[in-house]
Amino acid sequence: MEINKVFNEKLEAWVIDIIGELDIYTSPKFKEILLEALDEKMSNIIINGESLSYIDSTGLGALISVLKKVKEYEKTITIKNIKPNIKKLFDLTSLDKVFILEGCD
Amino acid sequence: MIDKGENNIDYIKLSIPNKAEYVSVVRLTTSAIASRMGFDIEEIEDIKVSIAEACTSTLENSLDNQNIDIEFGVFEDKLVISVKGTGGVRDIDNTKELKLDDIGQGGLGIFIINSLMDEVETINNGEEGTEIRMTKYIKDDIV
Repeated sequence: MEINKVFNEKLEAWVIDIIGELDIYTSPKFKEILLEALDEKMSNIIINGESLSYIDSTGLGALISVLKKVKEYEKTITIKNIKPNIKKLFDLTSLDKVFILEGCD
Repeated sequence: MIDKGENNIDYIKLSIPNKAEYVSVVRLTTSAIASRMGFDIEEIEDIKVSIAEACTSTLENSLDNQNIDIEFGVFEDKLVISVKGTGGVRDIDNTKELKLDDIGQGGLGIFIINSLMDEVETINNGEEGTEIRMTKYIKDDIV
């Protein structure tokens, strides 16, 4: 797993590129990086999921705990361009209604 | 353990250390077995996600120095996978709608397995630990 994070001044959001797999091995690191970013600057988060190949319940769990954090400050998490196999898990768990999903129909 | 009473069944066994980095090995192995059996891409993905969730759940509950045993029963019409560990497994009632507050307490993985596999059983073997056994049937193309 590889993560690139950039604060986009124009969008006023953290733009996170995630490459590879988000599972029990990589999720704790992913969560840590996102929480660090929020500590630095509390803002909306945009996750580019184009290169995310796999997610499991621990990855979804990491996203949920970060969402709980941003919601305290009335911020949002947008997840863009995830693959159909990953979208299926969001649908299955009703998390498609909790996160803002874009470009993944 | 998967019932060995029937003939013409191939068994494959895998035993992994109780470490997160080995779950991807199980995922890849499972993917290869399911692919060889003729499951389609979406079914392979379902099986792959389910086995990973079973391992993750077992791993989180098992003792550090114990291995997790995975057994594949390759039947003519189905794949049966058993995951055994030393710890307990949370059971979840799939008839209830999943609430955000329930998530993150270990129940999400079992919920996903129940949704993606045809049959799921959690068997409590007392002190020996818990087993998750799941089955996926090969669909007949001729309707």
